[in-house]
Amino acid sequence: MGLVYALVAYGFQLTYATSKSINFGQGELVMLSAFCSLTLLDWGVPYWLMIPLGLIIGALLGLVVERAAVRLALEQKSEGWILLTIIFGLFAFSLAENIWGRDDRPFPTPIPSDSFSVFGVDLTWLEVSVAIGVFGIMGLIELFKRRTLLGKAFEAVSADRDAAELMGISATQTVMLSYGLSGVVAALAGILISPITTVGPTMAMMLILKAFSVAVVAGLNSGFGVVLVGLVLGALENLASLYLGSGWREAPGLILLIMALALRPNGIFGKATIRKV
Amino acid sequence: MLKVEDLHAGYGGAEVLNGVNLEVKQGTLVALIGANGAGKTTTMRAISGMIKPSAGSVTLEGTEVDGYSASRIARLGLAHSPEGRKIFGPLSVEDNLLLGAYRRLPRFFGFHSQAQGELEKVYALFPRLKERRLQHAGTLSGGEQQMLAIGRALMAQPKVMLLDEPSMGLAPVIVQEVFAIIRRLKEAGITLLLVEQFAKSALEVADYAYVMERGKIAVEGAPAELQKDERVIAAYLG
Ligand SMILES: Nc1ncnc2c1ncn2[C@@H]1O[C@H](COP(=O)(O)OP(=O)(O)O)[C@@H](O)[C@H]1O
Ligand SMILES: [Mg+2]
Repeated sequence: MGLVYALVAYGFQLTYATSKSINFGQGELVMLSAFCSLTLLDWGVPYWLMIPLGLIIGALLGLVVERAAVRLALEQKSEGWILLTIIFGLFAFSLAENIWGRDDRPFPTPIPSDSFSVFGVDLTWLEVSVAIGVFGIMGLIELFKRRTLLGKAFEAVSADRDAAELMGISATQTVMLSYGLSGVVAALAGILISPITTVGPTMAMMLILKAFSVAVVAGLNSGFGVVLVGLVLGALENLASLYLGSGWREAPGLILLIMALALRPNGIFGKATIRKV
Repeated sequence: MLKVEDLHAGYGGAEVLNGVNLEVKQGTLVALIGANGAGKTTTMRAISGMIKPSAGSVTLEGTEVDGYSASRIARLGLAHSPEGRKIFGPLSVEDNLLLGAYRRLPRFFGFHSQAQGELEKVYALFPRLKERRLQHAGTLSGGEQQMLAIGRALMAQPKVMLLDEPSMGLAPVIVQEVFAIIRRLKEAGITLLLVEQFAKSALEVADYAYVMERGKIAVEGAPAELQKDERVIAAYLG
């Protein structure tokens, strides 16, 4: 669970790096991709083929957000993207309600949910698949950033947008790339988490709050930080629901967010951020 | 090679340049000098597309490029080493250089081997960059950062290179080193537009020079003439 928060938070970092903007509709993006993937399964698309298709849908949705909600605002150097991405989220929410209904639906998966025990820790295959998926995609994206010229260009735009343009790197295309990647990450989060939580229009809300707390606590530029904070938050939630009752499950995330905002506006792992949002 | 005609540009509503004309012929080094705030940096920014000119034209090797984005102009072969250097601090020295060659390299793999030849040339010119090639560029000294900014521009194998105040904020010894490098670039036949505060040294290396005042070219000519010009001497060489 915590790793999925980390993954969604990682999506925030990707777009923040290139454009100093984040998609407040990221939770809805997870939800929409999950519903689309579920529909693919309903149509009889095999599970393992659904995954790449679902990720492509996520990338396309990410590009839609960039085009519709972010680009104009950034060109005008305004903070309009905040409102526009929130509106995108609301729009996606009602779209999902109208197409797929309000009820939560189960998400079938071929991965067995029986548990086994390693060194005294109970794990399920589903949880293992989440870990593989999260570390796999984050590892791939980090490799891309370090090993390809396009990835280095991505880093260059994060470091100094104007100077990157002077090298011939199109900042606009790099921002598109970051939103596309962020969409892929969101779709994977949806595919990984849905078998555990079920799919419904409201899944976005809690997810984004948690991911946002993780991103704020870890800072918007530390990939290692989000994983750590995500894991801690997941563990705290389990402890809270175990010892205080399941009603307290959501408490640690919110407390964490409030504490982080009060104590460390730049995040524990982040270097001082360049500009306050 | 590079021709600027009646260029107007500014920031927001305020016009800074009102009709700049200048030309840089292939293989020559042209100096642009003038007091602080005259509009030299703004001229460079308008040429390279960092700001959009409001009127006038910029022609690079026969192509009108005014109105193009900065990245498109850079891909056409104009390398602009901006005021304040603007190196990529969190990236390694070598990555900075590789990105300089972005316009010529494959985007995914094999870029390193393809850049190797040019990389070696830049390292030969700046041995200290080679020693520090894996270091974060942000940890370099001011002089080294300037060398990196010049090396990064060279990596593009540019048709024209713009150098904005390469000696800014450097110790006198390092300034001399920078001018030695500029001389070597000139000998290598690189087409250069140089903006400098050190008007005297700039005139010594240049083939041709422009003096800028309040957003316009006030005087132009061969350095030998300008060095004799009463007004230029009074204002910049005295
Ligand atoms: N980013 C900016 N925004 C607004 N005005 C600027 C900006 N940069 C420079 N100016 C103004 O433009 C004029 C020319 O500046 P500049 O081109 O930097 O001169 P120079 O490089 O010759 O010292 C100055 O009056 C300066 O105040
Ligand atoms: Mg200047």
